[in-house]
Amino acid sequence: MNLKLLIFSPLIISLIFLLPIFSGHSVFIRRAAKTFACVHFIYSLLLIVFYNANLPLNFSDEITFFNEKWFGSLGISLSLGVDGISVLLVILCSFLTLMSCMASKGVIKSKHSLYYSLIFMLETAVLGVFCSRDMFEFFLFWELELVPMYFLISLWGSGNAKKSAMKFLLYTFIGSLFMLCGLLMLYNFNFISTQELTADIGNLNFDYDSVPIYVQCITSILIFIGFAVKLPIIPLHNWLPAAHVDAPTPVSMLLAGILLKMGAYGIIRFNIQILSDAFLILVPYLVILAFINIAFAAVLAYYQTDIKKIIAYSSISSMGIVLLGLCSGNLAGITGAVFLMLAHGIISAALFFIVGIIYKRISTRDIGQLGGLALVMPKTAGFATLFCLASVGLPFLISFPGEFLVFFGAVISSLLNNYLIQVVALSSIIVLVLSAIYILKFLHKSFYGQLQLRFDSACDLISHEFIILFSLSVVIILFGVLPMPIIDLVIPAIRQATEAFGG
Amino acid sequence: MNILSDIFNSMLPETILIFTVLILSVFSMFYTVEIHKLSKWIALTGIVAALFSLKYLQLEPVYYAFFESNISDTFTVFSKALVLISAFIVVLLSKKNVSKRNHKTFQFYALLISGILAAMFVISANDFILLTVSLEMMSFCIYFLIAYKKEYLSKEASFKYIVTNAFSTAVYLFGVSYLYAVTGCLNFNKINEYFLQNEPTLIYTIAILFVSSGLLFKLAILPFANWVLDVYEGSATSVSAYIATIPKIAVICIFARLMVFIFGNSFELPIILISLAVLTAIWANILAIRQKNILRILACSSSANAAYMLFALSLTSVYNLSTVLFYLVTYVFMNLGAFAAVIILENSNYSSKLHEFRGFAYSNPIFTLAFAICIFGLAGFPITSGFIAKLYLFSAIVRSGAIFVPMLIILAITMVVACYYYTNIVKLMFEKNRDIENEILPYKTSSPTVILYASAFITVIIGVAPAWLIEICKFVAYNL
Repeated sequence: MNLKLLIFSPLIISLIFLLPIFSGHSVFIRRAAKTFACVHFIYSLLLIVFYNANLPLNFSDEITFFNEKWFGSLGISLSLGVDGISVLLVILCSFLTLMSCMASKGVIKSKHSLYYSLIFMLETAVLGVFCSRDMFEFFLFWELELVPMYFLISLWGSGNAKKSAMKFLLYTFIGSLFMLCGLLMLYNFNFISTQELTADIGNLNFDYDSVPIYVQCITSILIFIGFAVKLPIIPLHNWLPAAHVDAPTPVSMLLAGILLKMGAYGIIRFNIQILSDAFLILVPYLVILAFINIAFAAVLAYYQTDIKKIIAYSSISSMGIVLLGLCSGNLAGITGAVFLMLAHGIISAALFFIVGIIYKRISTRDIGQLGGLALVMPKTAGFATLFCLASVGLPFLISFPGEFLVFFGAVISSLLNNYLIQVVALSSIIVLVLSAIYILKFLHKSFYGQLQLRFDSACDLISHEFIILFSLSVVIILFGVLPMPIIDLVIPAIRQATEAFGG
Repeated sequence: MNILSDIFNSMLPETILIFTVLILSVFSMFYTVEIHKLSKWIALTGIVAALFSLKYLQLEPVYYAFFESNISDTFTVFSKALVLISAFIVVLLSKKNVSKRNHKTFQFYALLISGILAAMFVISANDFILLTVSLEMMSFCIYFLIAYKKEYLSKEASFKYIVTNAFSTAVYLFGVSYLYAVTGCLNFNKINEYFLQNEPTLIYTIAILFVSSGLLFKLAILPFANWVLDVYEGSATSVSAYIATIPKIAVICIFARLMVFIFGNSFELPIILISLAVLTAIWANILAIRQKNILRILACSSSANAAYMLFALSLTSVYNLSTVLFYLVTYVFMNLGAFAAVIILENSNYSSKLHEFRGFAYSNPIFTLAFAICIFGLAGFPITSGFIAKLYLFSAIVRSGAIFVPMLIILAITMVVACYYYTNIVKLMFEKNRDIENEILPYKTSSPTVILYASAFITVIIGVAPAWLIEICKFVAYNL
């Protein structure tokens, strides 16, 4: 198992696709991309086969240039390695890239080679974020993901795509610059307390006496802003609905499926694992932010008329639950959050794909004009019902174990002396009724009710769409029924991350 | 004293350049139109010979020449090498500009080389008299170079430059005279010794404030920055490339030396410089959003980049200095690459207006890729050297103390604004052009094309494997 190969093979393929000889062959390029994504997914599954749960870090590797480290003298290196959480997210990323490559058929109509090349560049960047063991390498890949995403939205998007892409770029860039300031402070204070220049995520530790707590809090907040833009947390969420609405369907699937997970992953790595003392102080505020996220996004989602926007706001609401799980600070809560990240990745990609199917058939996403599609598209309606129920959190579907663990963890959390987390968790559960309302409104208004005459000719699923929806629903049911393999996979890493809070 | 040994140990490249200027001036009097192509080769030969002669300068121990007014050490040799390399590129870039008025080519190159000569004197100055004279000589050449294009805009730009420069020079000389009044000497080493024994007074603070403000003019830092947009737009593009790189390298290097030897005793100066730098970064980046001409955007970006460097430079330490040098090297290559791209466009009868870039990605993909790499480098995206430079510079600022972090955050926000207008340029090139079909640029190996591809290549190489350059910069900074 070679991590370098896993991470950089998409980049190599993307560079090959950029060669001018491929510029005309759209069908060949699409098939080659699909084949490669499939091979890459199978290769990434090998991670589980060879994964050794007893080691803290698997497959560690390092990239060197002429046997020299990247920034040798500053203790910065390009070292790679995965633990349980990374393995899960790497496989999710590879799987969703395969799905979005398949979903691109018929949606992407021009510049095929550039499109697939950017998709694979994005995959390299995201995989790099999940496998980095060095914080500046982490930041490098974090920034690297911006450029392909910007072009994917702005070149193939519809509507106000250029503006939305720029909004996405600027929001994320500003967040990542705050994060850079925070990372540099972390690097610097680690040097002050240990007299050793290192940026290795595993080796960063503070002498908590020499670095005052307020400095740690500032560092933690700065880093958190970077992740909050990506997650997104409510005051910084403005880019997400715009980007989702204007991006083409496969790009929306990637954006919701894997890019939002990077924020939560970063919070686990940095805010919880390294800056745990500061996290204890910040928890009350984060819990309130999480509640605002859950409730406010749900209300906003209810009042949207564009069905893609409903799904986009439901993503924000789900990410609030993830944040609540992270704030609980115990094993159950964080495991639930990680599980919910997986669940949300699959479900939101599926829902965006459903929206894409509807839009391709009848060219509208306005909820007022839709209705009765189940009569002409029964298979789509069936799958949509499954995904909507999964999104609401029905037992035996994938998001139920995640949500259950999050709320369980929040209720038994002993992180704060008062009952803030418990109160927030219980009120969130009540607010979740709202999420059932807007998702069912989406389902009801678009698939059931009166069929408009002009939608008569809409055809049902064609083969590749069926394959995508089928494989997504297999995942949804499989891990809904059998959540333990995934929980077992991530628990050692989470136990290590929550050491400071006593598990 | 021994003039010959002084020349051979510390001033060999300057001497070669002086002879080049003389040869060019002699030619300019007699054969102008017939052999105007020869002028470029004379200039290039002179620069290459000067570059090779750097090898023979004395580095260890530090060599003082001409009554300690001139210094030669690792730092000066490194900066001179950087100046000469960018001079080489600038000479290659200015071929087309010059050939339009080919009876003046010898004069143009003579002026250009004199400017480079002056920049090298600035770098190796160890005395306020030499510094003043060479700074003035550098600006003097720039007046004529700007006005060389003989258009209304260029004359206006030249006049603007003269007036602002005259003002800042007056302030600078005022500061120098105060410094002389306090210490009684003009040599950097002696002034340094004086302040080792005596406490700095208020007059000292005022004096160094005035001296540094004279230097800020060349860097286009805020109170003296009103010239920068018009000059970049008005002058010939290769002259803009010259103004964006060589005087900046020279002034940043001498600023570093002054920071270490003279300004170091002041507590107030870094605070003032940092606030000026932050203000300039805000001003330049916001101004750039509204610009429709790429030369004006590059002007704003040069001003902003100078501000970032000034920020790290004013917090004097070896580590900060090495980051500034690293930033300088990467900035020079990215900037020259961007200017080369503009010159390629101008040679194919495009203007430098932004909207003309529309749709270039489809007609000229390789050109667009190289140009985009340079622009993304300036914006600081990863796998370009700009990313590493930004990371390294920020690490220096954070290391200087936690109180600078708020300032750094303001700087970071201005960088986001910068990211907007840089990305806008690249975005325009990917937009479909509905009005006219873009013509394909001629695929011939002209020198600007080679320079553009080479700068893009260097930008990526440094971005991927920066360790060797960092080692060099650290070594040089340690030896100042």
